[in-house]
Amino acid sequence: MKRAALRMVPLVILVLTLVGCWDYREIEVLDFVLGGGIESVEPDVILVTEMAKSTGTQQETEFQPVVLTTQAPSFAGATRSLYTPTEMEVFWPHAEVFLVSEEVARQGMLEVTEFVLRAPEMRSTMYMFVTKECKVEEVFKSKPPLFDSVSQHLMGSVRLANMTTVYIPTQVWKFSGDMAAEGVSSTLPTVQLVNEAGDMVPVVKGTAVFKKDKMVGWLDAEETRLFSLLSGATQHSFFVMQTRLGEMVYPISYQFRGNQVQIKPVVDGERLSMEVSLYLQLGVVELGKATTTALSDSVIRSMEEQLSHAFARRIDDFFSLIQKEYNTDILGFGQMLMRKHPDAWRSRSDNWDTIFPTLPVETKVKCRIVLTGLRRDPMKVRD
Amino acid sequence: MFFRKRAQDKADKTKTKDRLTTSLSKNVVQLKTTCFKDDESVIYRGIRTREPHVVPIVLIYSNDLAKHEFLSDYIVRPLMIYSLPKGLRGQRLIDHLVEHVIQADGISTFTSFQELAKGVVDGAGVILVEGSDRGILVDSQGWEKRAVTEPQSESAVRGPREGFTEELGVNVSLVRRKIKSPDLKVKNMQVGLQTKTKLAIMYVEGLVSPGLLEEVCKRIEKVNIDAILESGYLEELIRDSPNSPLPTIGHTERPDKVAAKLLEGRVAILVDGTPFALTMPYLFVEAFQANEDYYHHWLAATFHRLVRYSSFFLTTCTPGLYLALVTHEPQLIPMNLAISISAARKSVPFPAIVEIILMGFVFEVLREGGVRLPRPIGQTISIVGAIVLGDAAVGASLVSAPMIIVVGITAVAGFVVAQLNDASALIRLLLVLASAVLGLYGFLLGVMAVSIHLAAMKSFGVPYLSAFTSLSAQGVKDTVLRAPWRRMIMRPRQLSEGNPQREKRKSRGTNP
Repeated sequence: MKRAALRMVPLVILVLTLVGCWDYREIEVLDFVLGGGIESVEPDVILVTEMAKSTGTQQETEFQPVVLTTQAPSFAGATRSLYTPTEMEVFWPHAEVFLVSEEVARQGMLEVTEFVLRAPEMRSTMYMFVTKECKVEEVFKSKPPLFDSVSQHLMGSVRLANMTTVYIPTQVWKFSGDMAAEGVSSTLPTVQLVNEAGDMVPVVKGTAVFKKDKMVGWLDAEETRLFSLLSGATQHSFFVMQTRLGEMVYPISYQFRGNQVQIKPVVDGERLSMEVSLYLQLGVVELGKATTTALSDSVIRSMEEQLSHAFARRIDDFFSLIQKEYNTDILGFGQMLMRKHPDAWRSRSDNWDTIFPTLPVETKVKCRIVLTGLRRDPMKVRD
Repeated sequence: MFFRKRAQDKADKTKTKDRLTTSLSKNVVQLKTTCFKDDESVIYRGIRTREPHVVPIVLIYSNDLAKHEFLSDYIVRPLMIYSLPKGLRGQRLIDHLVEHVIQADGISTFTSFQELAKGVVDGAGVILVEGSDRGILVDSQGWEKRAVTEPQSESAVRGPREGFTEELGVNVSLVRRKIKSPDLKVKNMQVGLQTKTKLAIMYVEGLVSPGLLEEVCKRIEKVNIDAILESGYLEELIRDSPNSPLPTIGHTERPDKVAAKLLEGRVAILVDGTPFALTMPYLFVEAFQANEDYYHHWLAATFHRLVRYSSFFLTTCTPGLYLALVTHEPQLIPMNLAISISAARKSVPFPAIVEIILMGFVFEVLREGGVRLPRPIGQTISIVGAIVLGDAAVGASLVSAPMIIVVGITAVAGFVVAQLNDASALIRLLLVLASAVLGLYGFLLGVMAVSIHLAAMKSFGVPYLSAFTSLSAQGVKDTVLRAPWRRMIMRPRQLSEGNPQREKRKSRGTNP
C-alpha cells in the first residue's frame, strides 16, 4: 500500500512536467484585438484590425487603439501577417465587432463567415456591420467622441439598439444561420461616417439587405425602424408624426410603450396571402406647437386613427420595397409558411423567388394612446 | 522453568524493595539515596509528638508544589499539639492520625515508595511514622495558577468572557458550571510515562453514543508516549486520517463551546497543563460554525456563515483561479481587466507562477514572523510587510499590482476561517500548481481531488462531510444556515442516535 503510494509520486510529477504546460502563455505577450474587418477579398484579402496598445504605470493603466492593415492571399494568411508588425501573439477572443466593406458584402459573405466561424479564436458572438459609403479602415481610424476605441463605440451603440431602433444588432452566428436557413433572408446593420464638429464619427443606422450571401440593397433608418417593429423587437424609441388637431397639422412626438405584432400566412386553396396585424401602444411625449390642445377623449381617438392610417401606409410602402425592389424575404415569410403549413411550403419552396414579390399582404394596424405624460390639460399663459 | 522462577524472584525482590519498612530512619535513608537522590527540592520535616507518648514522624513534601501554610496549620501543628493515647502502634496509630489528628480532607494511605514518590511530585504532603510500614498522603497542592481570562485565540464580541486555564480542575469546573446535570460525566485517565498527565474525558450520558465513548477510551489507552505537554500531542496520536492537513479533532479554549458540543453528543477531552480542550468527532462544518452564531439573531448568523464559506473559497481558490485565467484562459477575463492586467505584467520579469509563489511565500514569512512576537513588534512587522514590501515590490516591478490584490484577498480571507488556516495554505498551493500546469482544467481537477479527500475522511466513525449530505431539513439546519432556535429541534443525527430531540416543539415564550 505504502510502496504503491510512493511509486505514484514520481509518476504524478512526471505527468505534470510532461504535459509541458498545455496552452500556457503569459497574458503580457498577447495583443488584444478589439475589432476586425475585411476590406476586400479579391485579389488579396485585406484585413483591418483595431488592437489595444496598453500604456501607463502599474497603478494606472490605459490603452490606445492601434489600427493595422494586413494583406495576404487568404484570410488565415492575413491574420497571421499581423504577427510581423506587432511581434506579439494576436489574441482574438476579446474582439466584439467585425466590419465588412460594401464591396465584400456585394461580392458574397460566405467566405468571410466561413472563416470567422471556423477559426477557433474568433467568437461567433461578434457583432457584424457593413460599412456604407466608407472603407473599413476609415471607420476604424475615425474618432469616437467618448469612447477610447471605435470597437467600444460600436458596442456602446449595440447596448442602446433597442432605445434607438435604427438598426438591429446581428451576431455572426445569427447572420450565417439566417443565410443557411430556408425561407428567410439575412440582414446586417450598416455603419456610416458622419461629420460631427469636424471629426468623422462612426454612426450605426440602417440595414444592409442580403439575398443568399450577397448584399442587394439598403434600408434607411426609418425603414429599419419598421423592419424592427415588424420583426417583433420591443420598441422604446420616439418618433414624430404629422398629426391633424382640429384645423391645423402639428408635428407631435410619440413613444412606443408596447407593441404586439402578428404575421400569419393564410392559405385558401391555391391562394396564399400574408396577414400582418399590429397593435401598438403609444405615449404622447411632446405636443410641440399644439400646446393649447386639451387631450380629450375625442382628440385622442382622432390621433389614434391618424396614427393607424399612417402606419398602415408606411408598412405597405415597406413591403413593396422589399418585395418588388429587393425581392428578399428578410421577415421570413417563407419560414412562417413552412412552420404553419408545411405542405403549402413544399409545393412553393422551389419558386419562392417568383412567388414572394407578388405575395398579397394584408395589413391591419391598431394604435392606442395609453399615456399622455403627466398632463392632460393645456398649458395656460397669462399676463 | 528455571528462568521463569528467577524472573519471578526478581519481581518479588523489587516488590519487597519498593515496600516501606517499619523503620522510619531506614525509609528516609532509602528515599534520600534512591528515589529522591540529589533532589534538593524535597523537604524532610522531622516532628515529634507531644509527651508522654513521643513518636518520631517525618513530613515529606516538595518545596515548590505544596502549600506551606496548609502543611503548617493542618498537619504540623495538630501533630505537635495533640498528645497520642497510650500504646498505639502500626496500623492503629496511622488510623488514629487520619481520623483524629490531621485536619485535611484529601487524605489516603499507601504502602510503597512508588506511591510516595508520585504523591510528592504531585504536590502532596507525605507523612511517615516510626514503627509503621504505611504512610499517609495529604493533598496539599498549592502553586501559582493563571486566572480565568478571556481566551486570546478565540475572542468573542458577544458571549462569555471566560476561557480555560492550564489547571484541569478549574477547567472541569468551568464546564460543569454550564451543564448542571448529573448526566454530565467525567472520566479521569492518565497518559505519559514521564509526565503522568491527567486527562478528563467529559460526556453527557444518554446523549453520547456508547460506541464513540468506547472508541475514544480505547484510543487513549493505546497511547504510549513519555510526555503529553499539550493536547496537540494527544490529538495527533488518536485522530483519524493523521496525514491529512484538515483537522479531524476540534480544539477550543472556550468552555461554552465545549458545553455546546457535549450537548450535541460529542466527547471532550480536557488535558492538564493546557487551556485547549479537544472535542470529537469533528466535522468539516464545525470549522465554519462560531459560538457567536448561536448568540446572535439567526439571520445575522446565517449571513456571517455565508461570509465564512465564501472566504474559505477565496483563500483557497483565488491564486489558483487567477493563475489559470491569466496564463491559460485570458478570454474569460473581461476585456478592460485583461488589458490592464497585461499592462501591469509587462514590466514584471517573472512568469505569473513564480510571482504567485514568491508572494505567497513572503506572506507566510510575514505571518510566521508576526505570530509569536509580542503584539507591539508584531504590528511593526505587519506594517513593514504591507507598506514596504507590498508597495515597494510593485514600484520596483518585482510583482504586478493585481498580484498584490490576489495575495491580499487570500490572506485576509484566510483569517476568517482560522480553524482551517493551515489546511487552506496547503490546498492553495496544490491548486496553484495544478492551475499552472493544466489551467482551468487543472484547477478543477485539484478541486475535485480535495473534494474526494474530504468525502473520504471520517472522524471517529462519522463521515467528515456528513452534515452537508443530509437530505432532511433537520440535517442541514446548522450547516450553511443557522436555523432559528425554535426550528432546531433535533441534535445532529449521527452524533446522538439515542436521544435526538433537544427541544420541545412549540417551546417559544411568546405567541408566534
